[in-house]
Amino acid sequence: MNTLKTVGISTTRIDTLQRVTGKAQYTNDVKLPGMLYAKILRSPHPHARIRSIDTSKALAMPGVKAVLTNENCKVIWGAGSIAGGVQYSDEIKKITKQHRYAFNNPVRFAGEPVAAVAAVNRHIAEEALLKIHVEYEPLPFVLDQEDAMKPDAPQIWPEGNLALSNRNEAVPMGQKRGNVQDAFAKSDQVFEDRFSTAFVHNAQMEPRSAVAHWEGDHLTLYTPTGGIANCRTDMARDLGIGQDKVRVISQYMGGNFGNKNQNQDADLIAAMLAKQTGAPVKLELSRKEDYIGMHGRWPTTQYYKVGVSKDGAIQGIQLRGYSGMGPYRKNSGAMAGVELYEVANVETSIHPVYTNKTVSGNFRGPEFPQGYFGMQSMTDEVCANLKMDPVDFVLKNMTRKPGGGAKYTDYSLEECVKRGASEFEWAKRWKKVPGSDPGAIKRGAGMSFMAFRSGLGRSDAVITVNAQGKYTVHVGVTDVGAGAKSTMWMIAAEELGVPLSQVDVMWGDTDHCPYSVGESGSRTTIMTGGAVVEAARDLKKQIAAKGMPAGTAMLTATVSANPRLPEGLVRSAFAAHYVEVEVDAELGRIKVLKYLAVHDCGRIINPLTAHGQIHGGVLMGIGMALHEDLIYDKRSGTALTAGYYGARVLTHRDAPKIDVIFIENDDGYGPYGAKSIGEAGKVPAVAAVGNAVANAIGHRMKDLPITRDKVIAVMA
Amino acid sequence: MKTFSNVNARDAKQAVALSQQARKDGKTPAFTGGGSDLLGMVKERIITPDVLVHLRGMKGFDQIEQRGGGLEIGGQVTLDTISHHPLIRSRYAVLAEAAETVATPQIRNVGTLAGNVSQRPWCWYYRNGFPCFKAGGNTCFSIAGENQFHAIFGGGPSFIVHPSDTAPALVALNATFKIAGPGGDRTVAASDFFVLPKQNAAHENILKDDEFLASVHLPAPRPGTRSTYHKIMDREAWTHAVVSAAIVLEMDHDICRSARIVLGGVAPVPWHVPGAEKLLVGQKITPELIAKVAEVSIAGANPLAKNAYKVPLTRNTVKRTLTELTGLTG
Repeated sequence: MNTLKTVGISTTRIDTLQRVTGKAQYTNDVKLPGMLYAKILRSPHPHARIRSIDTSKALAMPGVKAVLTNENCKVIWGAGSIAGGVQYSDEIKKITKQHRYAFNNPVRFAGEPVAAVAAVNRHIAEEALLKIHVEYEPLPFVLDQEDAMKPDAPQIWPEGNLALSNRNEAVPMGQKRGNVQDAFAKSDQVFEDRFSTAFVHNAQMEPRSAVAHWEGDHLTLYTPTGGIANCRTDMARDLGIGQDKVRVISQYMGGNFGNKNQNQDADLIAAMLAKQTGAPVKLELSRKEDYIGMHGRWPTTQYYKVGVSKDGAIQGIQLRGYSGMGPYRKNSGAMAGVELYEVANVETSIHPVYTNKTVSGNFRGPEFPQGYFGMQSMTDEVCANLKMDPVDFVLKNMTRKPGGGAKYTDYSLEECVKRGASEFEWAKRWKKVPGSDPGAIKRGAGMSFMAFRSGLGRSDAVITVNAQGKYTVHVGVTDVGAGAKSTMWMIAAEELGVPLSQVDVMWGDTDHCPYSVGESGSRTTIMTGGAVVEAARDLKKQIAAKGMPAGTAMLTATVSANPRLPEGLVRSAFAAHYVEVEVDAELGRIKVLKYLAVHDCGRIINPLTAHGQIHGGVLMGIGMALHEDLIYDKRSGTALTAGYYGARVLTHRDAPKIDVIFIENDDGYGPYGAKSIGEAGKVPAVAAVGNAVANAIGHRMKDLPITRDKVIAVMA
Repeated sequence: MKTFSNVNARDAKQAVALSQQARKDGKTPAFTGGGSDLLGMVKERIITPDVLVHLRGMKGFDQIEQRGGGLEIGGQVTLDTISHHPLIRSRYAVLAEAAETVATPQIRNVGTLAGNVSQRPWCWYYRNGFPCFKAGGNTCFSIAGENQFHAIFGGGPSFIVHPSDTAPALVALNATFKIAGPGGDRTVAASDFFVLPKQNAAHENILKDDEFLASVHLPAPRPGTRSTYHKIMDREAWTHAVVSAAIVLEMDHDICRSARIVLGGVAPVPWHVPGAEKLLVGQKITPELIAKVAEVSIAGANPLAKNAYKVPLTRNTVKRTLTELTGLTG
């Protein structure tokens, strides 16, 4: 790989100073003249028909300016439901049967908005909520995704509990290749098992908030979103106005991890209250509201059947899975993992299921960490039964071609696996006999691997240069935590061949920034970064042709890039994770001693941020494996552990040292060969931790999170 | 959050009077020190006081003084101060260690000893607004619900566990509590401060209206005393004890003269296990004896559907703590 001047050098983020000195303006910092404050009344019932709502006493309170309920606000929140994992669109809006409104009747989960108040201050708004009288008719409810598929389960929608696709079809997702029954018959051994994963919240630092302000028929929305363009499109569609009538501003935001793309109901509720009152309205969710009112990772139940030959070659994989979507299908409910193996015979059937729990949606590798946990726990257990080293098993069975005759643009998975095994000293740390450490303190090691989408796609960029030689990059990014502003800054400086000090970046405002794909799916560096490269090249050509601008003149390069991979090529990021844990069998404590993540994310644009992304992803993976859960009271159907305290999100003191190795390649696609990275750190981590625990204690923990009570139940 | 007013008390007498006055005016008062927990409860409307009587400004209540060979710790002393105080660290290690495990540095910087000892339960039903015994109702939702973290000793009708880390340490140290109230000060043994739900299901201690914990007195430690606090946490910071053990041993060379073992996280009060202590008195401590003591410490445990793991966990915690305190290897 050729060396570059700016790209590849650890660079402090472009907005670090603003963030650490408190100058950065987050949505909650926005204060407009005459601004009102909103609060939401939420359903205490997991499933209930609203017989009546009396808002008269609330409206009569001095300082209360408006109350919205499903009776006077019929706005449909498109992105809140039947997207089916596909971006909501005008076409889908037309045909969708199952509408999610900003306020729904019946309510379908405890915490669903029932009414919203706008008042002159927060206290009055909150007091007004207490004055709203709602008569509920509680309906039977179901919390577990498997229970919801039983014939006698309460029906959450008239069409049943199997979630509809965006074509209104109630069919499980799945694939069929070869013949698994024949494969099992021919296998030397066939294994079956069940795994489950819990609901885990995105737990981003900044809870949801929104400030909406109408000037005539023009809406300005301040909101923490990773996709200002998507949010604008969604708001315009939901409100039935032109996109040119909506401006979305997100200058700074405090984390995303997948639950701040598109628009959210908080945006719509703030906008409708602002419309109703004729004043700007600010809506801020508490941490608890954010936990139950937004979305998290879908809980799953996974049944595997795997057939292997004596030498450990997988002959067939069958998966029947159930994903708990809550009562609205905000994402697909898919499960990744089976595609990791080169197997001729595959049959999967995955059921996205409606439940009366809080809603599931995008979260850092939406279908990956939970699917990988199930699949790679299953194969690790197969290894243990075959008395085979998991590294050998992986090298024998892992994907080497993406299937269908296609090829990877470049392939480094084998290098990730082998390099990791060597650097980690796998042979020394992995227990040939699981659980064989004598005494209460037991160590063991586990590994997992990843092949993760890293495709190309559409994004726009504009770069200008003035007579002083100052370049300004206009990009529709906001930095959800992965450093997109700085990435674009570095890419522009590199391609323009100028120092960073000569480059400014304009971000986070739909009135001043062109379309960007939205910071989800680990694709902004590739797609928007690719557009920045194109724009810089265009600008350089203009300068070469016309010379630098003089006086007040400027040169502008506007690019709408939409590169495609050649037919038959698949682009993928690869990784292998190795982890050593120590389990105190008497006290049920699991401690991560050593963690190594080997990643091919193509060329690393900013090593500082890239390491941080892997660290953060691994920590989230450890949290999902060992800690986090949204525990429900089964009788009331309400969540008991919403928030950082209850869900036991990891703290700094829980963070082990995490070693990261990047295997850098330039496959010729994406800016300088950059691939996906944001989700990659988390995707394999959960499975690796689970496998390490099994190796340490000699007992497979099949249900996440692997908490103390479960460890003690099998060990003490 | 419900609107409330705040009044700063100059001294204990005025604090009591302000609280009484509020009540006379038909308002609900609440005492507050650091307020780190109380304000959270007000925000969540778990409690809805009209008047907060603020105790942090009271003169002399944030002092640690040597008195009669022992130590007098004002109720408004912060947990951070206690965890770093040289005399507490050297003579009453169990208390310093307990204070050090509470919550987070930010909370320990403002959280007080009196507040930690008097805090309300962290049962997830109570904290999520269920109308349970602790909220003035007549149900314990944990019994037929989610009870992973609930009591295995002394439960019924409520099955909360006492949330304080410093409380088991203080009971183990034979501390006495000075309570300020309408009748002036009264003094009780730490162990008599806490009450089981069968005596009073709504409150965890004997504090009556307009009373607060003013100060704590620690008796002089006997020669050869060593102590420690071991807390089982579900993460490395900011959790209450799943199980904890506060142990104070008076050793004469390798012979145990007296022992105090008090468990946290397992009962609605700091759970004293005299049966286990007795086994130690007059004995040379050996791994075998420790195993016996640990076994006896779980006598009478009565777990609910989802907290049976706490029984072996308690046994193992006692075993581990005693082993570490006596320098023996298990």
